[in-house]
Amino acid sequence: MATETYESLPETSPMGAPLDWAWLRGAKSEWGVRPKPSPRGLTMLDIAVGSYAEPQDHPLHRSMAPRGADIESGGPDMGYIVNDKSSVWADNVTELYEEAVARQWSATRDVPWGELRELPDDVEHAMCQLCTLLTEVEMIAADLPAKWMWRMNHDFIEAKMFLCTQIMDEARHAEVFRKRALSNGGGLLLSRSQPTSLLRTIIEAKTYTQATALMHLLGEGFVLDIFRMGELIAPTDVEKRIFRLCMQDEARHVAYGTMHIRYAIEHDPDVAEEIHEALDHGEIVLTDFGGAPDVSTALAVLLAGGVEHVEDKGFPLSMELSKKQFSSYLARCERAGISRLDRTKIPLDLLGIDPETIRAAGGSAPKGGRDAA
Amino acid sequence: MRPDEAAFFDALAREMNADPERFRRYGDADFVAVVTMRRESGDAFCVRLVIEGVACIDVTEIDADEAALADFGIDGPLHAWQAMFDDIVANGRATGLQTLNSLALLGNEITLVGTDPMGLDKFSRFNQTLQEFFDGAARVAADAPNRGG
Repeated sequence: MATETYESLPETSPMGAPLDWAWLRGAKSEWGVRPKPSPRGLTMLDIAVGSYAEPQDHPLHRSMAPRGADIESGGPDMGYIVNDKSSVWADNVTELYEEAVARQWSATRDVPWGELRELPDDVEHAMCQLCTLLTEVEMIAADLPAKWMWRMNHDFIEAKMFLCTQIMDEARHAEVFRKRALSNGGGLLLSRSQPTSLLRTIIEAKTYTQATALMHLLGEGFVLDIFRMGELIAPTDVEKRIFRLCMQDEARHVAYGTMHIRYAIEHDPDVAEEIHEALDHGEIVLTDFGGAPDVSTALAVLLAGGVEHVEDKGFPLSMELSKKQFSSYLARCERAGISRLDRTKIPLDLLGIDPETIRAAGGSAPKGGRDAA
Repeated sequence: MRPDEAAFFDALAREMNADPERFRRYGDADFVAVVTMRRESGDAFCVRLVIEGVACIDVTEIDADEAALADFGIDGPLHAWQAMFDDIVANGRATGLQTLNSLALLGNEITLVGTDPMGLDKFSRFNQTLQEFFDGAARVAADAPNRGG
């Protein structure tokens, strides 16, 4: 605490207005706190010290006052409805924010657009159809956090900051897929109703935790695997680069969602059932979306390198990759503490997924990696 | 220089650390990865890579039973790794189906392994950094024309 008392300060301004020196006269703040920058600079993790570190489980005030400040009582209520830390927090959220800031990229500068070359018509059509779909669905992961963020208690600032990075990421994804669709002679193609059904299910979730289960765990996990697949099937280095860069962003969002669900259930076990209910419905809608003719055919053509081998190569490979997609999702659910193996609506037998393999592997805690602490 | 020896990965680490700007455009990364190369003779070469920020701060040959102590592992037969590095050397970077993500996604020979989905997701989160690290093999090869022994 500051020790100076500053006795001789004026009580009124030159204009005669009363002055308040409370901020100077030894407020209760952690005077003298000097967190040391890490080798890469002063990170949010570095400044998470003392009373500035983690938010309380149930912060009482409802203003935008910064956490750790001396907060005057009686301020206006901002109308927050997400006031429990377990409803928004994840143990890795601060780390993910720093990662997001450090790994931003530009859809204008960081994609070698000049290397685009003319593709066979069927491949260009397929790529444009996929880009049409991705341009449509990516912004849901911006709209949804935006819908909830202003309702989140401001003490959860790190979570809100991370969601801001996600909104920027999704804007860039919509930008890069729109640019790709329009830049090589194909343009935007068909938009049908299945994606909208999925997006509406996500945006209309009743709670933020339900919404994040549907979006981060289910929807973005699914799209993450499409991006991984996209890097595999990209006809040129331009698309390869696009998908690889998007994949990195999407994996961050999935990492937040997985760890948020885990945190929510650990701190409020009753929330598990509401997550299950959301995923019961979400899996059906997502399965419809994944099997929608425009999505599955475009992916199969890209996997086959054209329409000629779509049946003997494209669809079998697509089926194999679908199995990986759903296996990844179910493994993440295990890690999040919301096992879906006995409840899922996904046709595991049809996909050839062995639930016991996932059960054995998915629930393990981290061992020696960077998150181990 | 053979890929199934620590000296090769030490050289990749030197490449990374000598040119941080090449990696800074992707941003900081933090992960521990284990690369396992299975030889036809039945034994395996395992190396642990620790990437922090824009530097590779540790390369250590480890026993196979320590491979699980990482965020993720990439595991495959030596001939598949050799094919990947040959592609990198021939083209200056991994191309076509020879990128790490493509190989691991197909999983025909080289597979992404790990017990923690969050660790496995780091393979995706830091994929560009990891790929750039491996692409350094092109420059390592240029510096060591007798590679392939």
